[in-house]
Amino acid sequence: MEIIVRKLSHSFGEKQIFENFELRLREGGIYGLTAPSGRGKTTLLRILMGLQKPDSGTIPQGVRYSAVFQTDHLLPGRTTVDQLLFVRGSRRDRDAAARFLSGLLPEDSLYQSVGELSGGMQRRVAIARALWADSECLLMDEPFTGLDEETLRLTADFIFAHRQGRTLLLSTHQKELLSGYPFAWLTL
Amino acid sequence: MKPAKSTSPLGRLLIALFWLGVWQAASMLAAKPVLFASPLDTVKALWALLPTGGYWLSVLGSLGRISLGFFLGLLQGLLLGIAAFRFAWLKALVSPLLTMMKTVPVASFIILILVWFGSGPLAVIVALLIVLPQIYFSTLSGLDSTDPGLLEMSAVFRVSALRRAWWIYRPALMPYLTGACASALGMSWKAGIAAEVIGTPLRSIGEQMYLAKVYMATAELFAWTLTVILLSSLFEKLVLRLLKEVGK
Repeated sequence: MEIIVRKLSHSFGEKQIFENFELRLREGGIYGLTAPSGRGKTTLLRILMGLQKPDSGTIPQGVRYSAVFQTDHLLPGRTTVDQLLFVRGSRRDRDAAARFLSGLLPEDSLYQSVGELSGGMQRRVAIARALWADSECLLMDEPFTGLDEETLRLTADFIFAHRQGRTLLLSTHQKELLSGYPFAWLTL
Repeated sequence: MKPAKSTSPLGRLLIALFWLGVWQAASMLAAKPVLFASPLDTVKALWALLPTGGYWLSVLGSLGRISLGFFLGLLQGLLLGIAAFRFAWLKALVSPLLTMMKTVPVASFIILILVWFGSGPLAVIVALLIVLPQIYFSTLSGLDSTDPGLLEMSAVFRVSALRRAWWIYRPALMPYLTGACASALGMSWKAGIAAEVIGTPLRSIGEQMYLAKVYMATAELFAWTLTVILLSSLFEKLVLRLLKEVGK
């Protein structure tokens, strides 16, 4: 499903962030989104997900998204595997979820409570959850924050390995580290 | 300031002995020993009560009524709290009533219930009236404390309402509910027994306490008091353990 945003206008108080903004994401496209902070990367993603209503404009309805949010939003006190099962599957899928996660996280962290994981590991759990969920389009808001360069590459590889043809829109301020990946770059 | 260290078992034993000694001394100093039973008299009185059928019938009667009232109040407070959280108009409608229930003196309720229903269901209703508003308000606060970020996340991932309730709302609610239950438990026992003393329903601890007053039998009064303390702390342990299981 193609994602088309038309004539999007939105402002925060006095500050107009979008004015007749247009966006077209073709099905299965891979897009990187860069902009100086405060330009509305997060707002754009939130508007797409339906979490924020724009002042005016049309946004596509009924698209099934999965997302990495600005903050991780993991279920506190639950294990890494539970985070995945919350968005898809049941107890029977535990092993499958663990196998999936083991491509991105150390084995001993899979049945640990997420509160005991480091910030970077929690971030990777949030990324794995987005990829594990059923969706047509992946929206990732600065998914690589708090990851060192090596982990960033590992994580980016993981994203591409499990994208499964879904449209990807990923915002980042580390464009130069992603030069090896087939992103079409958009700037706000 | 550093927090005080917790006392060792030996220390606790010594503290218990100290206060038992104070109790013993006070009873010896009392003008008429009949007005202030000593620890030994109390234990003797309890020992004499234990093998009697009447003791156990009274214990069962009060335990049954108060715990029934407690669980009815817990269930209703919880359901009403959830419904009020979901529907703003319901919250606006019922909150004043529940605030009133919290502030009206228990004695007024006791007398009103005696007039309306008699002494039979008295302790059940009193315990219920004590527990219900406490559980209602803490259910609301607990649900309100839910992390909005988690709710947004579950909305984007289209997680079912049932799953959301179990994995997001329940963990937010449990600490509030457990705290409210712990305080409501003790209060329901105190108010329930007070109601029984006033209404003197047959086969109840309150009735026995009232009789102890009539005969000025302080040893028996203390024995019944000890019974209430034991029952209410046992009941509290049981309920809190139950809640812990649900909260896992």
